[in-house]
Amino acid sequence: MDVGTVIHAICFYAFAGVAVASGVMVIAARNPVHSVLFLILAFFNAAGLFVLLGAEFLAMILVIVYVGAVAVLFLFVVMMLDINFTALRQGALQYLPIGALIGLILLVELVLVFGAWTMAPDFAASAVAPTPPIAQVTNTAALGALLYTRYIYAFQVSGLILLVAMIGAIVLTLRGREGVRRQKISTQVSRARADAVEVVKVRPRQGV
Amino acid sequence: MADFLRNFGLPTVILVAEILAIIVPLLLAVAYLTFAERKVLAAAQLRKGPNVVGPFGLFQPLADGLKLLMKETVIPTGANRGVFIAAPILTFVLSLIAWAVIPFDDGMVIANINVGILYLFAISSLGVYGIIMAGWSSNSKYAFLGALRAAAQMVSYEVSMGFVMVSVLLCVGSLNLSAIVEAQRTVWFALPLLPMFIVFFISTLAETNRSPFDLVEGESELVAGFFVEYSSMTFALFYLGEYANMILMSAMTTVLFLGGWLAPFGWMPFTGALGHVWSMFWFFAKIAFVLFCFLWVRATMPRFRYDQLMRLGWKVFLPLSLFWLVATAGFLVTFGLLPGQG
Amino acid sequence: MIHFALSDFLPALPEMFLAAAALALLILGVCQGDRSAREIAWLSVLALVVTFALVAAPLHAHGPERQISFYGMFVTDGFGAFSKMLVLAGSALSLIVAMRYNEQEGIARPEYPVLVLLATVGMMAMVSANDLISLYVGLELQSLALYVLAAFQRDTLRSTEAGLKYFVLGALASGMLLYGASMVYGFAGTTAFDTLARDFADGGTASIGLVIGIVLIAVGLAFKVSAVPFHMWTPDVYEGAPTPVTAFFSVAPKIAAMSLFIRVMVGPFGGLLVEWRQVIWFIAVASMLLGAFAALNQTNIKRLMAYSSIGHVGYALIGLAAGSAIGVRGILVYLAIYLFMNIGTFTVILCMRRDGKLVENIDELAGLSRTQPGMALALAIFMFSMAGIPPLAGFFAKLYVFLAAIDAGLYGLAVIGVLASVVGAFYYLRIVKLMYFDEPKGAFDKPIGREMQAVLVLTALVILFFFAWPGLLVDGADAVASALFSG
Repeated sequence: MDVGTVIHAICFYAFAGVAVASGVMVIAARNPVHSVLFLILAFFNAAGLFVLLGAEFLAMILVIVYVGAVAVLFLFVVMMLDINFTALRQGALQYLPIGALIGLILLVELVLVFGAWTMAPDFAASAVAPTPPIAQVTNTAALGALLYTRYIYAFQVSGLILLVAMIGAIVLTLRGREGVRRQKISTQVSRARADAVEVVKVRPRQGV
Repeated sequence: MADFLRNFGLPTVILVAEILAIIVPLLLAVAYLTFAERKVLAAAQLRKGPNVVGPFGLFQPLADGLKLLMKETVIPTGANRGVFIAAPILTFVLSLIAWAVIPFDDGMVIANINVGILYLFAISSLGVYGIIMAGWSSNSKYAFLGALRAAAQMVSYEVSMGFVMVSVLLCVGSLNLSAIVEAQRTVWFALPLLPMFIVFFISTLAETNRSPFDLVEGESELVAGFFVEYSSMTFALFYLGEYANMILMSAMTTVLFLGGWLAPFGWMPFTGALGHVWSMFWFFAKIAFVLFCFLWVRATMPRFRYDQLMRLGWKVFLPLSLFWLVATAGFLVTFGLLPGQG
Repeated sequence: MIHFALSDFLPALPEMFLAAAALALLILGVCQGDRSAREIAWLSVLALVVTFALVAAPLHAHGPERQISFYGMFVTDGFGAFSKMLVLAGSALSLIVAMRYNEQEGIARPEYPVLVLLATVGMMAMVSANDLISLYVGLELQSLALYVLAAFQRDTLRSTEAGLKYFVLGALASGMLLYGASMVYGFAGTTAFDTLARDFADGGTASIGLVIGIVLIAVGLAFKVSAVPFHMWTPDVYEGAPTPVTAFFSVAPKIAAMSLFIRVMVGPFGGLLVEWRQVIWFIAVASMLLGAFAALNQTNIKRLMAYSSIGHVGYALIGLAAGSAIGVRGILVYLAIYLFMNIGTFTVILCMRRDGKLVENIDELAGLSRTQPGMALALAIFMFSMAGIPPLAGFFAKLYVFLAAIDAGLYGLAVIGVLASVVGAFYYLRIVKLMYFDEPKGAFDKPIGREMQAVLVLTALVILFFFAWPGLLVDGADAVASALFSG
């Protein structure tokens, strides 16, 4: 067996195993902060799997966006909230049997569905954008070429979606507070020495 | 067996040697950076600085290290042990693994990956976790406040840093660090992208939590911020991590804006092995210069207030870098200079 | 390298104009602060009118011509243009009636019209979707703006609760839809509607996984049109959201989601009619029955309108179950008439205000005929129309969908529809009885505002005199519906 294949396989099982295990820990951990940390670990291993697939751009973006920004805010919120998660879990336990039942039914259905999976006869012909060979083009360039041409419409609308999310967050939370003294940089900078300091000659025993 | 050794053993040994060749000098550099910092600060304040241990106080960092090593590691009772211990280790490890993609000279890099710059960006954005984890797990108000400040601060400044990197990428057309350096043969990007260079440098100060953005430590209000509960080696790891990060950020600035290993004006009097030394000399000289700027800023600037920090990040740097990014793209497209187009 | 020409973007001109207008108004609003709310609202109405013209002009000039752009992601045709015109009219009317209310409630902020505009862009994108991806992004753009609007009165508990509830359940529905879409993609290897339609044209290749995928997509869309059994959010959200938002919810998003429903079911999955007809049949029947029976003992007028809208969706879905051009024509006519009835009714609800305070109880309408005869008359017209009493427009709306059901041989559906509308008539007529035969409870605050009067008169006249010129609407709907099936 080829050395590369062996290392590849070891890496795959390591990443996949840790990803699944930390995924389980996300919901099993008692402490919500630990949950988020395990979530981060899961993201990390997913990024590792991307690297194994040769999708290094996606892997890095996953780390930068999800781990570096989104999960930080998660952690921020979870650390700030003083939620009693054990009480919440007690409530959830009540619904566990029915939830588990529905989940089980869905699982069985899915197994049946995927067991009998067929593909459309002209499946291969329908694929719109086959992956270019990795050796010829870096996957950053390949993604960019697709995103800004073929999927420009979806890309632009996604931009609008993010804008709406931003407007929404501001509209729903921003409150103009009364009595806040703001720093006015322009007035500070434009203040001349003459406005601030007055040189007074004080004569002895006469005062100002 | 011999086959196995040739296929597995030799590459592993070489790799380990390469890694050691980077890490050992790096740690030495970190030790002497702390020394340099004290000397520079002392010079700025008309003092002498450390001058007792060894000639010119040169053994001071070693003595400091030894002291930290001998101390007892104290873990607060209310602390979350696992996270408490993991935090400094994480910080330290992150500051080391980023060096895998830094090119010291043409071809002198451990992993010459296609997305090197993104890798660096990803690693530097992970740095915040060490701080948050430390602050949270210490079970201390000061540490927690420091962690919260760090989280908001680093996320804020990453945004404009990202835009700066994208504008560099526009000029290069590649995410590979060696390619970025090679693209600066005609002119270092610090000149055409001067505003972005300044934004980037100031953002790196914020990203490494250095003065004037060291609110995370903020000794006058938060005692020592996120690592107030740490002692001994755990503290030392944070310390090492912080300075290694400074060096890393300087290396990043050098690669992105100061032409990496390229000597000024293509001045290349040597070839062969000596040529490599020459290139690396310039690389290290540039890093040292940027590091000196870090210390210089620390000696000169008072600490920012928190609202000023946020204002600078979101209301000044973000619009500025966004505008400059669009301007760069417009310029390159208008004059047909976009790489990979011609 | 691919180069774009300006003409590639031309089919999406109305959408691009509206999005640009929304951005411009957002900047204007941010610069001027909350003082400018009314000005921005009127400018938004103007933007909607211009967009309406941009949509209508090509339809008028070239007829219902089908045009694909953005690499097959975006389709413009007569059906789309017709639905977009309805959506734009709904958005514009609901913006007009919202202004006064928002000022009285202290939520008049420039972001309100901007969010309505962005939601409208999303709806237009939904109507024009020609790919599962563009379907999803359009739907999300719309939904996200609506979640925010539902919580817009952020200082009241009810409104924030409505927003949160809508968000959580809406996210669930989006998840279902995405899951279904991924199964369809897994089967066909493509998300493009045209390719899917070609794959399924003969209808013989449907695997069980594909059918489940289609059903999941239908579930997601049924949630968005609030059809039973995915209606649970509707009464709470309608009741909790600020009334102008409810008015908006009940028309524009519903029309857009319904058009999207038609577009998805008839377009890519048209060949699989037999597979999905029973699903639509079931949700149509369930919606009609629940809309009729659950509304009987409601006391809050907004809740009543929520159940009423669930019922109306049920009737409209009859046309989809028919799966024919006549059915689609029926839906389009139904949606158009529903738009006017609903906006009119909500205009009256927005005027239900006594001593500066809102009243939402149905009993408060008692004796309205003696205190405000004009408003009572208008509301009576809308109620009779909703109940389906000839010769008002609502009668024709139902007539066209029932005709389609009979034409498709779905007699059971038509019979249940008629029975449900008889039950539904009870609670509509109860309101009329309250207004005309009960003791007055005192007048509502006057004046109600000139723009409100104008909307009230306009909608009432449309409903009242629809029977005189039905061709205006029905011929247009007929043309675009048959074009949808032939093209």
